[in-house]
Amino acid sequence: MAYVATRGGERAIEQAERLFRAEMGEITDARVAEIKAAMPYLIDRVMGEASLYDEDLAALALAQTGGELFEAVLVLRAWRTTQPRLQVADPIAQEALFTHRRISAAFKDIPGGQVLGPTLDYSHRILATDVLSGLPFKPAEVEPAAQPAPAYQPSVAAWQAENDLVDLPAVDDTAPEDIPDVTREPLLFPAKRAHTLQSLARAETGGALALGYAAMRGYGQAHPTVNELRLAEADIMVRHPNGTVFSAGRVKVSQAEVVSKKGEKLELGFAATLGWNEVKCISAATLDLNSAGAEKGSATEEEFFIYHTEGVESSGFCIHFKLPHYVTFQSSLDAMRDAKAKAVSQKEPAE
Amino acid sequence: MSLATLTKDWAPMSYGFLDASAKREIRRKMLKAVAVPGCQMPYASREVPMARGWGTGGLQVSLTLMNPFKRVKVIDQGADDSVNAASIRRFLARVSGAPTTLDTLEADLIQSRHRIPEEKLREDQVLVLQVPNPEPLRPVQPNMSIARQMHADADYGRMWLQLYEQIVRSGRVMQGASYPSLVNGRHVMTPSPIPRWDVPKLHMAKHLTILSAGREKRIHAVPPFTRVEPLVFDDVPYKVEAHGDLTCNRSGAKGFFMNEIPQDDGSSTYEISDSEFGVKTIKQAEGAPVEFGETWYTDGEMSS
Amino acid sequence: MTITIDAPKLVKAAPLLRAQNVSKTYGAVQAVRDVSAEVFPGEVLGIVGESGSGKSTFLRMLNLEETPDSGSYTLDLPEVEGNLFDLDRFARRMLCATRIGIVYQNPHLGLLMKHSSSGNVAERLLVAGERRFAVLREKASDALEASEFPLDRLDAPPAELSGGMQQRVQLAKAIALEPALLLLDEPTTGLDVSVQALVLDTLKRLQQDRKITMVIVSHDLGVIRTLADRVMVMRRGEVVEAGLADQIFQDPQHAYTQQLVHAKL
Repeated sequence: MAYVATRGGERAIEQAERLFRAEMGEITDARVAEIKAAMPYLIDRVMGEASLYDEDLAALALAQTGGELFEAVLVLRAWRTTQPRLQVADPIAQEALFTHRRISAAFKDIPGGQVLGPTLDYSHRILATDVLSGLPFKPAEVEPAAQPAPAYQPSVAAWQAENDLVDLPAVDDTAPEDIPDVTREPLLFPAKRAHTLQSLARAETGGALALGYAAMRGYGQAHPTVNELRLAEADIMVRHPNGTVFSAGRVKVSQAEVVSKKGEKLELGFAATLGWNEVKCISAATLDLNSAGAEKGSATEEEFFIYHTEGVESSGFCIHFKLPHYVTFQSSLDAMRDAKAKAVSQKEPAE
Repeated sequence: MSLATLTKDWAPMSYGFLDASAKREIRRKMLKAVAVPGCQMPYASREVPMARGWGTGGLQVSLTLMNPFKRVKVIDQGADDSVNAASIRRFLARVSGAPTTLDTLEADLIQSRHRIPEEKLREDQVLVLQVPNPEPLRPVQPNMSIARQMHADADYGRMWLQLYEQIVRSGRVMQGASYPSLVNGRHVMTPSPIPRWDVPKLHMAKHLTILSAGREKRIHAVPPFTRVEPLVFDDVPYKVEAHGDLTCNRSGAKGFFMNEIPQDDGSSTYEISDSEFGVKTIKQAEGAPVEFGETWYTDGEMSS
Repeated sequence: MTITIDAPKLVKAAPLLRAQNVSKTYGAVQAVRDVSAEVFPGEVLGIVGESGSGKSTFLRMLNLEETPDSGSYTLDLPEVEGNLFDLDRFARRMLCATRIGIVYQNPHLGLLMKHSSSGNVAERLLVAGERRFAVLREKASDALEASEFPLDRLDAPPAELSGGMQQRVQLAKAIALEPALLLLDEPTTGLDVSVQALVLDTLKRLQQDRKITMVIVSHDLGVIRTLADRVMVMRRGEVVEAGLADQIFQDPQHAYTQQLVHAKL
């Protein structure tokens, strides 16, 4: 009987996909809306790693992939590839960020105050199991303060610079359209500052944490203090062709600035991302702090952590090992068998 | 004049999935790669609807080269029906409307993971090889920037040293697939994880070969009629896998690269890796009209 | 018929190495100040001084590892001409790889510790373009033998060898291509005294057999005395005295040299 090659493979992959999707069942706009309402921090994490801000698309990605985070980020990034570039928004100054949460570990109090904002930092991590028995968990009402916290605050680093404790980076006045874009140009090392910051913004949270944690534990040279952590909203300022500058809306952003002592001054590490993701920002900023002066070829240099915190690449490569590798395997076996045969023939006693 | 008349309808993707900027980037880097044979050109690799590490580099090259008339063949480990090859072939057809084929002779574009077909490719055909790791110096230098400088300096001493030590230790070069090769007498490249059997097919070939690593973001190329010389000592000749005497259990094809299939009793049988060549051999034996191209290997030996 | 015979000319050998007015500053520190040296073919120049004298920095510049702020350096070889400090990267690397050999005080700088000893030597030959395995094996073995390295440890990695053996591997690596110039930076410092003597013996023998031109840097007068034909005394980046080894040791002129010589003896 003739060998029918193709259909077997195609049919198998078709059914395998159906099997996966069967578990999630029908995906409706209602489900997407529910995810959007219920999982804002997950959505933020996914938007940050995808470097694409769209809460509906992020919720859809999560619905479609059943919450498989790497798949969700990949599907968003693939989407991002296809979208046209309309414009590059103007840069946002620290003082213009509409700030929900702003804390500094460097001082007890700071100009603008320590604003705790929304956080679980001081909560007791106890599962509300009653919910599973049918008793809904209703969070206690927030009691507003007498005066609202200021929505805009000066940066801590500005005060430190005035007091000659830190040298702030020179103001970069590159026009928005001229800012190097890591998704449009090859990444080469030593990396352009813009490429580094963008890579950290898109970094996979677990990867950034693993490497950042290693640096914090002493594998890096610098010990970080959180100079400033912010969860805020940024206006996307765009220009109309007739010259008017206006806000196209606000996106959530988070950022962390860490410092360590270097001689008589502080040195800075910085990272920011779309959406609110504190663990990633602090870890990534720590990596940034440690990269200056890291030895070439070492695990704390930029080239190392930028490559290895790229989630789409790392997870893709990880799972690619599931692909058939039998040809390369056969090639290795051939070399091994031949070498073994040689060794045996050399061991034969001479006459 | 209205927005509707001035603009195209919104569509979720461009022709061939990649947008114009992506295609331009890849075209330019391919041209650069062809201009400096064997030299890795960094490119801004885009995310595509497939996981990284699964052929996104090859896919981006194919998507850039595709048009509605280009017939495309996709293989993985030599087989068209391998699950990943089937998935890629489906995607290419879906986003370009192009026809597909299993027959090497009919293809204009062949995207392949880790094999070169047994039938010789012609000057009107392009071979796109998927590359996991484009850096042949990786075993002696894991840092990409340092390795890049080494290529610029033609600093390949450590590479040769590795081969020397393999011979000292094991009596032969132990490199299996991905045999490092000197291209156009200047740059050492990895030919991608094709077996040693396939590397001689690249030397002075009539066809163009593009090698693309999506995750590592590098493209390199072997233009037609370019020297590709595996790194070997003058007095220790290059050895391909010992498949010249093997026969395919299913088709009877003899003297081509085989897949080893372990059997229950501890022995092995062999199946030709270029599965469509095997299919054609079976069809011919059944009396169907089948056309074979000239093969690089005859009677299990590379013909010069 | 008149036959004209030219008066005999005094044939003078040209120096192989000529460095002139070499200076190098690192930040506020002038490491090397206006140093000049000449070395004739087959001759050994010893540079002696304490740490901080600039002798190692000067040697590194002779190895084209660093460029000076000013000065020139020429080697009388057919492959090159002009100031070697002006060579482009490619030419510089080729010259260093094929015509200059160097032995460092710290074997980690000169050797690939985890590769085999023969491999370390073979790498030099490979970089120079040797592609025959049998020849690599033979030449590596010959160079190691000339360096009095035990051939039964031919393929042992330097990481597994004693300090003295590691220096012999460095030496073999340095002489494998029969370089025009051999540079040695404190080659025996840090070794046991008895091992030092053995390595120095090897160097002496090699130099006599092959007439290799050498520049050897050491703070140890005994080392310099054993090997050098000429001596240059450096202090704080400057040459304070230079001349024939015998002269310097028997009749030092400069106060610093006198101190050095008398402290040793």
